[in-house]
Amino acid sequence: MKSRPDLLLLLTLLSALVAWCGDTPALAGGKSATPAPSGSLSRPSLSDAPNALRPPGSLPDDGGPSPVVFPEQAIPLRFSHQKHVKQLGMSCTTCHGAAKTSQTAAESLLPPATRCDGCHGTNHRNLSAVTTDEARPLGQCSACHVGYDPKRPNVVARVLVPKPNLRFNHRAHVVGQGMACARCHGKVEELALATRDQLPRMKECVTCHLLGSSEGRSRPPASAASKAKAKAGRSAARAKASGACTTCHLSEPNGMLTTAFKSGKLLPPPWLHDAGHGADFIERHKLVAGDDSKFCASCHQERFCVGCHDGNVRPRRIHPNDFLSQHPVAARQDNPRCTSCHQQQSFCLTCHQRTGVAMSGPIGNMAGRGRFHPPQSMWTDPPRSASHHAWEAERNLNACVSCHQERDCALCHATRGVGGRGPNIGGGAGQGVNPHPVGFSGRCQQALRQNARPCLTCHLPNDQDLQRCR
Amino acid sequence: MSGRAVKLGLLAGVASCVCLAAPARAYETEVDASIAAQYYTLSSPWGAPQLRRRRYTETLGLAVWNIQGQADPRGPRLSFQSRLRLDADFGQSSAERTIGDPQYIPGLEQAPLDLMYAYLEGQRYLDGYLSFKLGRQYVFDTLGFWSFDGGLVTLSTPAHLLFEAYAGLEQRGGGLPTFGTRRFEAQGVYRGDRNGFDPAYYPLFLEESKVAPAAGLAIEASGFGVLHSRLSYRKVINRDEVNVSPFLDLGDGQFFLKGNRTSSERLGYSLRAGSATIGAFNGSVVYDFYNQIFSQFALSADAYLGSRVTTGLSFDRYTPTFDGDSIFNWFSHSPTTSALARADVRFSRRLSASLSGGVRWFETEGLSQEYAAKPEPDQTERLFDLALDGGARYDDGRDSLALRGGGETGKRGHRLGGDISARRRFSARYDGMCLLSLWDWSDALRPDRDATSFAYVLGAGVTPGPNFFARSRFGLELSHDMNRVVGQRFRALLTLDLTVLK
Repeated sequence: MKSRPDLLLLLTLLSALVAWCGDTPALAGGKSATPAPSGSLSRPSLSDAPNALRPPGSLPDDGGPSPVVFPEQAIPLRFSHQKHVKQLGMSCTTCHGAAKTSQTAAESLLPPATRCDGCHGTNHRNLSAVTTDEARPLGQCSACHVGYDPKRPNVVARVLVPKPNLRFNHRAHVVGQGMACARCHGKVEELALATRDQLPRMKECVTCHLLGSSEGRSRPPASAASKAKAKAGRSAARAKASGACTTCHLSEPNGMLTTAFKSGKLLPPPWLHDAGHGADFIERHKLVAGDDSKFCASCHQERFCVGCHDGNVRPRRIHPNDFLSQHPVAARQDNPRCTSCHQQQSFCLTCHQRTGVAMSGPIGNMAGRGRFHPPQSMWTDPPRSASHHAWEAERNLNACVSCHQERDCALCHATRGVGGRGPNIGGGAGQGVNPHPVGFSGRCQQALRQNARPCLTCHLPNDQDLQRCR
Repeated sequence: MSGRAVKLGLLAGVASCVCLAAPARAYETEVDASIAAQYYTLSSPWGAPQLRRRRYTETLGLAVWNIQGQADPRGPRLSFQSRLRLDADFGQSSAERTIGDPQYIPGLEQAPLDLMYAYLEGQRYLDGYLSFKLGRQYVFDTLGFWSFDGGLVTLSTPAHLLFEAYAGLEQRGGGLPTFGTRRFEAQGVYRGDRNGFDPAYYPLFLEESKVAPAAGLAIEASGFGVLHSRLSYRKVINRDEVNVSPFLDLGDGQFFLKGNRTSSERLGYSLRAGSATIGAFNGSVVYDFYNQIFSQFALSADAYLGSRVTTGLSFDRYTPTFDGDSIFNWFSHSPTTSALARADVRFSRRLSASLSGGVRWFETEGLSQEYAAKPEPDQTERLFDLALDGGARYDDGRDSLALRGGGETGKRGHRLGGDISARRRFSARYDGMCLLSLWDWSDALRPDRDATSFAYVLGAGVTPGPNFFARSRFGLELSHDMNRVVGQRFRALLTLDLTVLK
């Protein structure tokens, strides 16, 4: 800092910022901290099940499936899948009967409480007056309802399982493809309570729904033979499964994915097209977008891209602070790459001419201007010293082109007769300082054939150098 | 009626049509408008001239979805999308636009109207195999971000291959059709409309090629789940007569070149291969036929270490190339190369951080210290910069806090600093933001421009209403930069974003 008032102001504003953010939720890591729905979360939303029991595609530290797709749940129940399935021999559909018939993800597959009545001796038909079998330990409210207070009879914490932000057809998967429940839900039969952690992982979905395949292409109805084959394995399932994002994800009327939910913003996981929208994605998105812009277009309209790449409001993430003053350094470092968004000879040059920075520009803007570059004796005059402009031009010509027009260079680099100081111009002929890169002679013939304008700007048609390229 | 009045009239007409549009039936209509007003001043490094920027930008978007009727996620779909922009700077002096005035800037317009895109798009026709786009449109691929007026046809095959062909006219600042920007022309050429110009007046402000035919092809392999690649080819032609006498005004002879010439001809290839559990490899390369060089080359390899950490290495090599009409193609020597390592950590779904760092080097032909005595251009000298970039972000969907810092330092100078910003939504309608920024830079070529700069930005926004205007926002931002180069610089930014989906 060059002045003490600036430092004081910085400290004051920093303090204000910290104070302002003071009551934001803590920056703690760990599992998602979305506020629990009313009814309170009396049990953890995620189990600590061994990874082998979790759904295929899950990783030990993945924190469960996306809370945006499967919002946080509250299941204040005491229940053992292991006991019901392994000891009592019940099947999944004994309780989750709709698992074979459900066609939309909005349908709840949780068994109604009446399903428990047959064995537990309770009666949940009227939820405002549930009766129990007090003689049986497993027939009491507190046997299943965590936190049940006998002093407040018939009051239990609510089970809250928000509908997922997803399209899913259980029937097509379970009946149509013959998929077992464990394929998506893991080994629930080994667990006590099944939490949100047992919900499917996208990583597993895309083993059949190959990404990028069949962008909504209509498919012929599966024959009986193909259905039978489908039951046999994954390959046939792949043949039917569409890889279009909207197969599973909700979409807007414009066909793009819905990304804003109450439970958060839908973002691609890091492994999906290597497009994790982390803190550095802005620096690395070009490889993802350059290879597969259709993937980006699943969520982003063109106006999003244009906002920066053909924008008119400075993006601070790219151009921080007083970028107008620091941009010459950034341009010479080519960091960020100016040509990603700017056309040098329209965007840059015009402004440089208006401020009198450009070498060739309105005479009216030149008055009183000093020298932009180091002294002529070291910057332009021969011999080519270590401070000569040629080195800067070789390192990153883009920086030169944002200020200089062709004639600025042709002044010295053109051969005699045309550029520089031609025979009709006072001061003598052009100096013909060769600006061409190593290996140019091997390329000039084809270049001359494709577009002779650059050649003829500096060389006369009968120029010896030009003749060699013909 | 002046050109500006015609433009404003057109804009108003389109706006009226949009506003009076009947409510949607089977189709869906989306109308959005954004207005940004920016006020700031910048001056020449020598104090004068001083530019008053009084920028006013108005953008109007209209989209109609599902024109074909009932929407079917797997059936044919027809839509229309357009966006029109008026980008005015009322701080310009009229002298800057008066031919013959000592302050005249060729090509400078006060309120250019830009039809950013307007196209009819059909998807999934012929049982899902055929898609098309007609009109002014963008192409995004490894060859860059580009725009043209014309048609594009995409053929998807069952063999995981997609063929794309397009042809039309490159979008250029003037010419036909009009209402364009020069943003998408190849670099290195200063050109525009020379109507009313004497040939010797600004001879290097070249007559624009009124029609620049362009065509391209692409083959995409997709659907293998782990692999995606795209091979792209594009050629753009310059037509019409062009001046080849840079010193026409100084008595140099008049030389003009006629006929079709290559503006750019490039072939690009990109590849992504990845596994959801291991990592991914991305690569791209661009060959420039006019310059006969590989102008861009990029590689990156990422490893997924569990579900929370990604690490990677990247390599990027870029050599500047220019429009075929530009002599700068043959002044371009050496690439800028970067080699970086990165790590991205997701501590939770709300908190993530990333760090990347490495070297960037600039090459020259010959050794700068010895060249005067012993000019040997076959020897290569590399000048290294260290580059660092880091960021952390906390975002709970309602409030966010972001930290970003980095820069680059080397023999030729440095640029280092960081920003901390916070956004907060106070209610469904009100939000605020604050940013603090501290950067330091030096330029070995111009030590008088070295500075440490502190800046802050304060902003606030309001959403007009919960229903019809739920996706709209009015915002105001004030920024204040302080450093020894400019002293104090203030900038005010007013924005109004309106989005209506019928």
